[in-house]
Amino acid sequence: MAEHTSGRDHSRAAGRPVLAARKVSKRYGHVQALVDADIELFAGEVVALVGDNGAGKSTLTKVLCGAIAPDAGEVQVDGQTVRFASPRAAKQHGVAVVYQDLALVDSRDVAHNVFLGDVPVRGLTVDRRRMYREARAALDALRIDIPSLHTPVGALSGGQRQAIAIARAVREGGRVVIMDEPTAALGVQEQRKVLRLIQDLSTAGKAVLVISHNLEHVFGVADRIVVMRSGRVAGTRRKADTTPEEIVRLIVGAAELQPAEG
Amino acid sequence: MQQDVIGSGSGSGAVATRTNDDALSSYVGRLVRAREFGIFCGALALFVLLSILTPQFATPENLFNVVRQISLLGIIAVGMTFVFISGELDLSVGSMYGFLAVVMAQLTINGGVDPFLAALTVIAMGAGLGLVNGTITTRFAIPSFIVTLGMLAVLRGAALLTSGGLPVSGLEAPTYRLVTSSYLFGLVPAQAVWLILIVVAGAWLLRRTRFGYDVYATGGNPTAARHVGINVARTKTMCFVITGALVGLASAILIGWLRGTSPLTGEAFELDVIAAVIIGGTNLFGGSGSVTGTFLGAAIIGMLSNGLVLLGVSAYWEPVVKGAVIIIAVLVSVTVRRRQKV
Repeated sequence: MAEHTSGRDHSRAAGRPVLAARKVSKRYGHVQALVDADIELFAGEVVALVGDNGAGKSTLTKVLCGAIAPDAGEVQVDGQTVRFASPRAAKQHGVAVVYQDLALVDSRDVAHNVFLGDVPVRGLTVDRRRMYREARAALDALRIDIPSLHTPVGALSGGQRQAIAIARAVREGGRVVIMDEPTAALGVQEQRKVLRLIQDLSTAGKAVLVISHNLEHVFGVADRIVVMRSGRVAGTRRKADTTPEEIVRLIVGAAELQPAEG
Repeated sequence: MQQDVIGSGSGSGAVATRTNDDALSSYVGRLVRAREFGIFCGALALFVLLSILTPQFATPENLFNVVRQISLLGIIAVGMTFVFISGELDLSVGSMYGFLAVVMAQLTINGGVDPFLAALTVIAMGAGLGLVNGTITTRFAIPSFIVTLGMLAVLRGAALLTSGGLPVSGLEAPTYRLVTSSYLFGLVPAQAVWLILIVVAGAWLLRRTRFGYDVYATGGNPTAARHVGINVARTKTMCFVITGALVGLASAILIGWLRGTSPLTGEAFELDVIAAVIIGGTNLFGGSGSVTGTFLGAAIIGMLSNGLVLLGVSAYWEPVVKGAVIIIAVLVSVTVRRRQKV
């Protein structure tokens, strides 16, 4: 799986990030959840966000996807400063979050879920032919193979459900796909398929942010690793230039004084 | 380079079995697996059984009579189907039916209002009451069970207050009665025509329109629905409004049919309505169900009542049989759902 990184180095050099946070801070009562955090996401690149529980990963993610507003600092899309009023506003800017279990309606079929809340309409009625055709195209584009679009998603496996949620995010125009623990609660086979799908997303030019506790997966899929500790970005490393040991040191704090961006 | 694909099974030798989704074989397979198919088989079995047991059952006159008997139940149950699928419940329909029937009778018989205008008035009032049910339920996040239980009591009281506790009767309105209780071609009751119209319109709204899709998403997973931008509160409220309007329509037809009403009309009627929806396979907890199923559920209830009378069984047995059928229907539905994991 490692040969993926080298071929995509140009994408970083190619210019400005699709989505970035600049010196964002967030405080909850006495808890400083985020301190001057910076992160940049480029098209065609997978960034892994790692850190201990409470390190600020989910707060930073929520700022990026519009779920919370930062106290200070700013979020930029294509270099332009934006203020997301809600996750829906972020979605309109092409920033999509994929939730593993919250996103699907089990009793509805695959196509209905790919088009949830956004069904194609023709006149007064739903254009079902177009819906099934485009749902199939959306899955094919990501090499997701689900035998029947008519299967209720409640009958599918965790990996398939994850894939459908991702397909919807991309179909809705997501250029940035944020995934929270995409491989948690999946079997080994399914984990591998989801990791492959993440790489396909970046090959297709999406900027991908993966929050994960699993360093093996992180090293399998990420081009760059951003480590958070106590609300700060403790370091950013290119995968090729670092080791799991160094990342662990950054996570626990032993390497905090090393220069960021190796 | 790994070439495995999501969903192609767990084994290494798994081959993708994708075929054309719209192939005839899979269409027939889906049809047979559809919940409505099982309910249809149940209704058909009951039909055959009653036809064998009693010769008077399977005559056109009697069958149309059955449809007429379930017509108002069916009309209200169509609305209740929307409410159920959206993940809510409306216990106030029986009282609302009684109250709006009293209002309809008062307006036309004592007030001299044109019955068509009065009918539109009670339909609008029903929609308004549904708006109240829906708004309180969604705005204040109070379970609809409680909101509509309160409304059940309020509206029964309102029916008694409006009528002074006395029956209202004696509607003289030939044109209106023609529309609500005549026989088309001397055979098809007008009430049955209304029922079919509402069933077709309801099924279309639920299965074909964006609103219908939103109703399923809202009841199936409100969090997901909200996340993709569906207005969950408004969708649920609309389901209550539709139900209220249909209750208004049913009470307007009732007055044309019986030419009057008693303030106790519709007592415990909500239970029959809920029974039709449940027997029809709609999920108690929202997310799945259909208007067609509800129609079949109402038909099963109608055939049971009618068949028991024709067989000369004591009327006291009717609720026993009806209750048993509800329990059996839910058992079957739950078992099937567990096997399909949905």
